[in-house]
Amino acid sequence: MIPAIEFKNITKQFGNLKANDNVSFAIRKNSVHCILGENGAGKSTLMKILYGAYQPDSGKLFVDGKQQNFHTPHDAINAGVAMVWQHFMLIDDFSVLENVILGNEPISGIKIDFKTAQKKINDVITKFNLGLNPDDKVEKLSIAEQQKVELLKILYRKPSIIIFDEPTAVLSPVEVDEFFNIITKLKDSGNTIILITHKLREVIQIAERVTVLRQGKKVYEAEATEIDEDILGKEIVGDSSFEIASETKLETDGEKKVAILEKAGLSSGGYSKLNDINLVLRAGEISGICGVEGNGQNEIVDILLQLLSVENGTAELNYSSVSVVPDDRIKKGMISEYTIGENVITRKMGFEIALKAKLKKLSEILIKSYDIRTPDYFTPMGNLSGGNQQKAIVAREIENQSELIIFSHPTRGVDLKSSLFIHDEIIHVRNSGRAVLLVSSDLDELFKLSDRLIVLYNGQTVKEYEPLELKSRLKDAESFTVEVGKLMVGAGIE
Amino acid sequence: MENLLSIFSVVFLSQVFRMFTPYFFGAIGGAYSERGGVINIAIEGFLISSAFSFAVVNIFTGSIILSFIIAMLVNAVLSILFAIFTVKLKTDHIVTGVGFNLLIAGLADFLIAYFFKTSSNTPRFEEIPTIEVLSFLPFLSDPLIIVAFATVPLSAFVFFKTRFGLRLRSVGENPQAAESLGVKVRFYKIAGVVLCGIITSFGGIWLASYQNTYSQGMTAGRGYIALAAMIIGKWKPVNIFFVCLMFAFFEALEIKLQIIGSFIPSQFIQSLPYIVTILVLIGFIGKTRPPAADGVPY
Amino acid sequence: MNKKIIFQTGSALISILLTALITFGFLFILGRDPVVIFGRIFSEVFGTGYGFAQTLFKTTPLIISGCAIAICFHAKLFNIGGEGQINAGAFVMALTATSFPGLPFLIILPLSILTGFIVSAVFGFIPAVIKVKKGVSEVITTIMLNFISLAMVNYFLISHFAVESTIRTTKIPENFFFTKLSDFIPSFHGSPLNITLFIALLLALIIYFTIYKTSIGYKLRAIGFNPVASVYMSVNVNKYTIVAFVLAAGMMSFVGLNYIFGYKGFYEYGFSANIGFTAIAVSLLARNNPIGIIFSAFLFGFLDYGGLAVNELVPKEIMLIFQGLVVLSILGVNKLTDNYLKINLERN
Repeated sequence: MIPAIEFKNITKQFGNLKANDNVSFAIRKNSVHCILGENGAGKSTLMKILYGAYQPDSGKLFVDGKQQNFHTPHDAINAGVAMVWQHFMLIDDFSVLENVILGNEPISGIKIDFKTAQKKINDVITKFNLGLNPDDKVEKLSIAEQQKVELLKILYRKPSIIIFDEPTAVLSPVEVDEFFNIITKLKDSGNTIILITHKLREVIQIAERVTVLRQGKKVYEAEATEIDEDILGKEIVGDSSFEIASETKLETDGEKKVAILEKAGLSSGGYSKLNDINLVLRAGEISGICGVEGNGQNEIVDILLQLLSVENGTAELNYSSVSVVPDDRIKKGMISEYTIGENVITRKMGFEIALKAKLKKLSEILIKSYDIRTPDYFTPMGNLSGGNQQKAIVAREIENQSELIIFSHPTRGVDLKSSLFIHDEIIHVRNSGRAVLLVSSDLDELFKLSDRLIVLYNGQTVKEYEPLELKSRLKDAESFTVEVGKLMVGAGIE
Repeated sequence: MENLLSIFSVVFLSQVFRMFTPYFFGAIGGAYSERGGVINIAIEGFLISSAFSFAVVNIFTGSIILSFIIAMLVNAVLSILFAIFTVKLKTDHIVTGVGFNLLIAGLADFLIAYFFKTSSNTPRFEEIPTIEVLSFLPFLSDPLIIVAFATVPLSAFVFFKTRFGLRLRSVGENPQAAESLGVKVRFYKIAGVVLCGIITSFGGIWLASYQNTYSQGMTAGRGYIALAAMIIGKWKPVNIFFVCLMFAFFEALEIKLQIIGSFIPSQFIQSLPYIVTILVLIGFIGKTRPPAADGVPY
Repeated sequence: MNKKIIFQTGSALISILLTALITFGFLFILGRDPVVIFGRIFSEVFGTGYGFAQTLFKTTPLIISGCAIAICFHAKLFNIGGEGQINAGAFVMALTATSFPGLPFLIILPLSILTGFIVSAVFGFIPAVIKVKKGVSEVITTIMLNFISLAMVNYFLISHFAVESTIRTTKIPENFFFTKLSDFIPSFHGSPLNITLFIALLLALIIYFTIYKTSIGYKLRAIGFNPVASVYMSVNVNKYTIVAFVLAAGMMSFVGLNYIFGYKGFYEYGFSANIGFTAIAVSLLARNNPIGIIFSAFLFGFLDYGGLAVNELVPKEIMLIFQGLVVLSILGVNKLTDNYLKINLERN
């Protein structure tokens, strides 16, 4: 049988980064196919190629046996490929009906034929049991219902292949089951479903076939019936590339507790972001938080920065000052228009006069002691390379001498040499007696640096490894990786 | 008491509708622009340009129809320019509006001085014969007022029942979503701005035709009041209609009170529309939500 | 960095040139000789002491209001409410100066400046707080406050404080008037140009220094560049939004100094003649740089006085057209040069 989709040697490069590296696999018609991988493994790029948002540098794409070259998402829609985004593209002020028909409105005379539209939409709603009212305004709907509207938009256009980008990330367990019922119905009515997910339980529950991507390459493929959880966990996170700094690791608890979160919970937009977070940060200790992104890491960081406050449970923050290396350096970490020295001045408390000589001195200190490569002292940070931007932010925050320093994905998109340098600095900070929180989705980094490791899943701390336990478990890094990898995707958790 | 009752005379009501018309056309025009996501504070300028060109063409040609058409055309051209700036060049909507208001006011003032050698107003043109369409309702007798009344259901129909309206609103709310469904974002934004210019021209024409002249500063911030009415009216034609009626009532009342004397300062009544607008924006009176992508260049 | 400044100055000059070209063309179509007209303006402004002094006199309030607008623009805040702020502050400034007949000038002056500043600042505080607390854009609120402020001034003036059958306050004592520059430079004779000019220049320098050379300025601009990063860099965005607005609005009241203490001796309704809006153009042309604002304010003062000087050749309102055109050509040219700079930076 001709596959619904076939990727043949797809390669897509951004700068030096190979987002997709010679990827080939096929997706059977009328099946549910899961694509797994860490953030940055290349799933999104591949899907965007399929959806017409990107064009591959080389390789071929076949849809229904026909070679296709989609230039816009519109081309893809016309060929029957549709995508349900993780971030909804809905118009809040519009009714469900208006959102659905936009761009494809049935017309009678000079007005929109609402009757026909209503009937068509109601047919789809009944067929897939979506339980939506076409006249409801989208802004009044829950997240799960909004997702159904997004789906309805697609079904109205009668595609044959539907891609879901982490559809369950925003759903509660009951809603997930409901969603899977819809998927089953879609399949029964002849559609091909592609599911991008991080959750093992879902893969086992719904998938027929699984493909794992890592660092742009296809590394694993299997039928759902023959999935091995251990292999899957290992394939997703890969082999260790950093040496574990075990000789410097602590064996006992750090002394002073600088922050205590107990049963902390938090929701936003009617959807629970955190529930039951238990976390203690201690001076002179690196606490690592590991988990797939979007499981509550950013909320924890924002609570510690006092940008958010907990709604349930308690948060005891005993530190006098806090610094942060944020997860998104361009959006959150720096003023791109400013030089390094100017960024430092902006970050400082209190009034200061900042003449050229002073800014130069401030830049100079950081540039020298943190090995930041820049053409001159007065180059805006936006013009530096990613690694040097990150080093400058790390330098700025460390030099701020705060009691607690949070490193959120400190080496993401940073070259290996700079990464190693940043790791050394993090250990220095710990050794100087300050408390460190390390948030990362890179297991190697977490294993290398953490004195204590907390696994996060769905806004919950599902497992905590104490220093002594962590140190001994890391002696068999391979099996430990598999265990943590499984915890991260929710395997073995009620 | 007698004085108060005289408020509800026919003269008073026709006064209200006279005030109402420029507000309404400015506000409903503004709604076309902002529904498409372009904040248009150049409505003030658009009122000036149309009032001025109507008066000037009328003085030189004596043809009402020609003056009417030219005034509309002038506004169409100016709004296309405004759209080129805000939609194509993606300049800041507010600053562009300020620039247009400065330029248009300057042009009008200059041309008065140039054509008529005075610096304040054009000569008076011949009174426009009133067309008593509905002679039994004297204050509704003017064709432009009837057009205003017709514009309410018409605009509501365009916004909420037609493909054009749906797409116009979609680009003002979420241009990314609209584009992902194949809607041509720029086209609809430009169309909204140009419709705004043309509709607003009726307000300017009304101002000039009622006083049979264009005088410097005759718009007196009416464009901004129109903007306020549009906000309080939540960008909806029917609401805008009633808010403009309310504002016009205030203004007519203020003039009345000035004549008969009152303990309420007229300046307070003058600034009521602005105070109410701020209160509405803060959320003290009702709730208002502009189109989600209003003023965001795309 | 220097390259950037050269580029930006260049784009300002191109905008002026473009505007001049359009104006020339316009005059030409109307059958007036642009060369004669602009020649006359130049000879009036630079050829006579009086003309030069008058130009500087008109430049003074534009420097002050332009710098005030710039403070807000640096934080990406729009202050369209300058007109209302100027009138409220100047009115109260004049009232204060005439309300305490016994007190000496050295007490009255600072007191008037203070009360004027506070009242103007209130009209900046309101939109700032509404923005911070309710997330309402400051654009509409400042426009609305213009009208509210003017109506309030009008009410208090007419019903309580105006000299009968005028729309102005009583006059300050003769010995309260600022020193005129014509006392030192005889050729300025007849022009009310006064020491407010130096106050304005000093303000421009102080604001330049604060914005570009102190941590306050860096934080202020940071919230304009990237409010999210500012939060993570522990800059209090709300506080700086309010501070910027209060300072800018308060400063607007200083426009009154030039008119009240330097020229007429009283506040007159409508004295500001849309300076609050022209200031936006002045600041924009200078890319919000206070030193640049001195020059762009001079250009606008030049046009303002120059228009008067050639009124017999061409209506003086031609200069209003020039002002409007300058704003639009800056917007257009800046967009194009910014795009060019961006492309070039990305390529490097």
